[in-house]
Amino acid sequence: MFTDETLDLIGAESTWRKSHQQTQESRSCQTLPVHTAEAETQAKDVLENSTQTQDQISQTLSLDRDISDFPGLVEFLRRVEDVVIRELVKNSKSHAFDGFEVNWEDQNDSVSCMYRLQHVDAQERGLQVTSVSWNCTGSVIACGFGRMDDGDWSNEKASVCTWNLDRQNLNPMRPDVIIDVPTPIMCLCFHPVRPSVFAGGLYSGEVLVWDSSRSQDLILAQTGMSADTHREPVYQVNWVPGARRGEFVVLSAGSGGRVLLWTIDGAEAKLTLSSGYAFVPQQMPQCGAASKPRGSTTIGVTSVALSPWDLDTFLVGSEGGLVLKCSFSSGTVAAVPPDGESVTLRNPMQFSFSPRGGPIHSVHFSPFHRNLFVSVGTDGLAHLHSVLQPHPLLSIRVSDSYVFWVRWSPTRPLVFAAVTGQGLVQMFDLGRRSLRPTSTIDQNTGGQPAYCLEFNPKHTNLMAVGNADGSVNIWQLSAELTEQGAKETAVLEQLANEVTD
Amino acid sequence: MCDYQKCKHWGGNQDYTSTRNKRKTHLCCDMAEVEDTLKRIQGYNGVIGSIVVNAEGIPIRTTLDNSTTVQYVGLLHQLTMKARSTIRDIDPQNDLTFLRIRSKKHEIMVAPDKEFLMIVIQSPTE
Repeated sequence: MFTDETLDLIGAESTWRKSHQQTQESRSCQTLPVHTAEAETQAKDVLENSTQTQDQISQTLSLDRDISDFPGLVEFLRRVEDVVIRELVKNSKSHAFDGFEVNWEDQNDSVSCMYRLQHVDAQERGLQVTSVSWNCTGSVIACGFGRMDDGDWSNEKASVCTWNLDRQNLNPMRPDVIIDVPTPIMCLCFHPVRPSVFAGGLYSGEVLVWDSSRSQDLILAQTGMSADTHREPVYQVNWVPGARRGEFVVLSAGSGGRVLLWTIDGAEAKLTLSSGYAFVPQQMPQCGAASKPRGSTTIGVTSVALSPWDLDTFLVGSEGGLVLKCSFSSGTVAAVPPDGESVTLRNPMQFSFSPRGGPIHSVHFSPFHRNLFVSVGTDGLAHLHSVLQPHPLLSIRVSDSYVFWVRWSPTRPLVFAAVTGQGLVQMFDLGRRSLRPTSTIDQNTGGQPAYCLEFNPKHTNLMAVGNADGSVNIWQLSAELTEQGAKETAVLEQLANEVTD
Repeated sequence: MCDYQKCKHWGGNQDYTSTRNKRKTHLCCDMAEVEDTLKRIQGYNGVIGSIVVNAEGIPIRTTLDNSTTVQYVGLLHQLTMKARSTIRDIDPQNDLTFLRIRSKKHEIMVAPDKEFLMIVIQSPTE
């Protein structure tokens, strides 16, 4: 009934597909051949030229030339002498300009906070700002993060941040340069001539020098951990003029009782020890009121001040409350057992001032008088000393808590500023009769201490203050605090001469 | 003033300077007189320094240090010339006799002349 059957295939041809193919055409194009030609040139004459700048040589004055070279000098003096003397006498008696003041610039009457710089990462970890430094052009501020209240050895990673305040797109929450360091950084100092080089001292005793103008590895030189380095935290670094003109060496002072001078070896990126000083209690000079500290084996250095007048002198403040006057060129050898250092350590102490109750956190020489300096410590007082006598000239109560840093104003000879453990900046004017601060600036840190303060060397109305909550406040000071009055240097001189014999 | 033949230095070194009216005076007397005059001026109340400059701007005698002197001379020479031309532009028959500049810290006095310039810096004693 049902059988298999195969049928033929049935196909239907497409009509449109074929017609498409019929309309196909091919086209081609080609550029014309490109003409090329070769030619050569060669310079036959070569000329070299170079220029170089030189430090300005001071003009020679013709002071040793004879009067005979200047005919008519005598007559000139005869003619002019009477006129000049008349004017001199008139001027010395004149009251015409008493109280006459000219305002060249807009007087800024108030102190305002320009920026509040923060590094979010460091703040989250609860790090505090331990030191700030302005560079020599006054446009970059660097701050080091660490801890001041930690008594224990810490290996916590910290950082150094810089901000360039002259840039248009300054973001106070984001630093321009962030450098990570292995241990908390205790002190920073910018190079006095090169605007991108700065040195820092770490909690572990190492000293590093960075160059922020480099693109890759920012570390210019470091001490590493050798027999020469400090074993204790480095509390102060500074740049000191070296042997050759224009060269600077790094001075580092640590609580191990050592002040060391390092030269930068750029080729090997190392800091090599060039000379060192050790502080031994037995070798301390006995001066009147000072008594030998009992039971201590080292005099831990917590602050150093270099004299801007006398390149040989420097002051040292210690953990035990001593302030010592030292000299770089002293020759006596320190009585420490040699510990594998490459240079012999010398004893620089020359004079000891009357000791204080607690560690001396900061010492600063006055930029206007060669004999005066101010020192502050944990006893809450600021002592104004003259280098010539052991007892202080003035003792001013700054605050009830610790005082961490003090700096003289770079423009007004009688003004200095100190930061306290309550987060206030107290500015004192010695020209006023009362010993109370002329102005108090609150850092808005909620009672947390402020640790460091620096005046901007170029824009002298700016002041940077580093706080324990990890922020740096940049304050613009009023004209009253920054403009020098007429007689301030004379009053300072008078103060300095109150030295009792 | 030295009288040449009647002066006490007559008989020794006869170096002389001749003045405009052809009078001769001993060189050593002239030098002493110059130093005396400058010392007198320097001794007045409040005078910080004094400088004598020649027409080319080269300091001849000064009581200040080299770098300060060079700075004062360079700047004040130009200022004196400018002041003189200002006076003469306003009135060609007039001329500058004395220039005083008062600043916050001191007063600078300039006595000009054809060949020389004297600069004295005094701080006001209030």
